[in-house]
Amino acid sequence: MLLIDSKSRPKGCQARSASKITLNRYGRSTVWVWFVVALVLSFLAFGAKTVVALTWLSAGDMVLLIVHRPGRRFLRRMIKVMCWQVALIVSLYCLRFGYAAGWLSGLTTAWQLCLAFLPGAIFIETVPEHLITRMLTDVMPSRPAFVLATCLNFIPMIIAEAKSIYQGQVLRGARILPKDLADPRNWAEMLNCLVVPMMIHSMKLAHEIALAAKARDFGIMKGRTSWSWEADSCNNGGSRRGTRMEEQ
Amino acid sequence: MSRIPLKESLFLGFCAVFTLLFRALFRLHLHIPGHAMFFTVFFLFMARASVNRLLAASFTGMLAGMGALVLGIGKAGPMLFAKFILPGLVIDLAALLVPGLFQSTILCLMVAALAGSSKFLDTWVVDWLIGMDKKVMLQHALFEGGTAMLFGLIAGLFVVPVIRKLQSHGVIPGKSVEPV
Repeated sequence: MLLIDSKSRPKGCQARSASKITLNRYGRSTVWVWFVVALVLSFLAFGAKTVVALTWLSAGDMVLLIVHRPGRRFLRRMIKVMCWQVALIVSLYCLRFGYAAGWLSGLTTAWQLCLAFLPGAIFIETVPEHLITRMLTDVMPSRPAFVLATCLNFIPMIIAEAKSIYQGQVLRGARILPKDLADPRNWAEMLNCLVVPMMIHSMKLAHEIALAAKARDFGIMKGRTSWSWEADSCNNGGSRRGTRMEEQ
Repeated sequence: MSRIPLKESLFLGFCAVFTLLFRALFRLHLHIPGHAMFFTVFFLFMARASVNRLLAASFTGMLAGMGALVLGIGKAGPMLFAKFILPGLVIDLAALLVPGLFQSTILCLMVAALAGSSKFLDTWVVDWLIGMDKKVMLQHALFEGGTAMLFGLIAGLFVVPVIRKLQSHGVIPGKSVEPV
C-alpha cells in the first residue's frame, strides 16, 4: 500500500530499491526480529571495550551484511562515512595523547562508533519501506500514524510537482542548478523559487486530503478505523455492499 | 497532538517530508559535515511558524525522524530521532518564550543557531555512551555541533523573508505566528 514509486524517488533513496531484501517473503514479525537484532547489536557496541568483544560484534555485523545483502552503493556510502569518522576521531586522539598512544585507542573508539551505527543503517537500508511503515504504525497512535503514512504516500506526487516547478524556474533563469547552489548566495533564490511554491502547494494538498478524510468520517471514533467495503469490493467484484466503518 | 486539526497535522507531515526530500535532492556538494542542518532547521521553523501550536516543530521533527527511518535517509544510529526532535524542541521552546520570534531576523538567527547546535548534544551522548576520552569527546561534539550551528545560522537568515512571502500568499495567517 505504501510502496513508493522508485522512479520518482530522489537519488539518495533510489539505492534502496536495488538492495531490497527478501524480507517481503517473511512478513511483519520477521521485521520486528531483525529490528531487535539490529538494536541489540547497536547497544552491545556501546558496551564493548575490548578488541575481542569488538571483533565478535564485527562478526555479528558481517553476518547481518551477508543475510541482508545491501547494495554496493550503500557499502560505498558507509565506507565513506566511516573513513571520515575514523580519520576525525584518530586525529583527535593523536592530538590529545600523542601519536604513539593515541592512534590505537582512537582506532578502537572509532571502530566502536562504527559498530554502533552499522546495524541500524543495514536495517533501514534493506527492509522495504512499507514494512517499516507498518512496524511504526503498530506502535504509534492512530492520528500520527495516518499522517505519516499519508505524507509518505504522497512523496511521488510531491517530487513530480517539485521537478516541474524546478524545471520551470530553471528555464526562467533562476540560479538553482546544482553548480549554482555551491554558492550560498543562491540559496535564497532556491528558497524563493522552489520552496515557497512547494509550501503553498502542500498547504492546498493538506486541505484537500483533510477534506476527503472528513468526508469519510475520519476521526469520529477514538481508535483506528477502516471501511469494510474495501475488503468486500475485493471479494464481490468491486460492489460497495455493506459499507460501514469498523474500529480496529 | 490529537488536538491539532488534521489539515495542520498533514501540513506538518509535509514539512517533515520536505526536510528529507530537500536533504536528498540538494546534497549541496560542500563536503562540510552538518550541512543537512540547513534544511532541518529551516523546515522546522516553517512548521512552527505556519502551525501555531505547542510542540508543532517537535512533532514535525518526530515525523521527519520516522520518515528518515522509512526512506533510509541520513546516518542511522540510535540517535536518529534526536537529530530531528532536538532542534524542534529548541524552536518550540523559543516560540513559547520569545514573543514575535518569527518577525525578527536577529531572534530567528539566535534560535536557529541554538537549534543547529543541538547536534552537539546528540554527538556528545553517543560519544559518552561509547566511553570516549572526555576531552576528545568535547572536541568531537564541538566540531560536529559547531558546523551544524553554522548551517542552522544560515537557515535562520532566510526564515523571516520566506515567512513574509508565505504570509503575503495567505499560507500563514499574519497574526497567528505570535505564540499564544
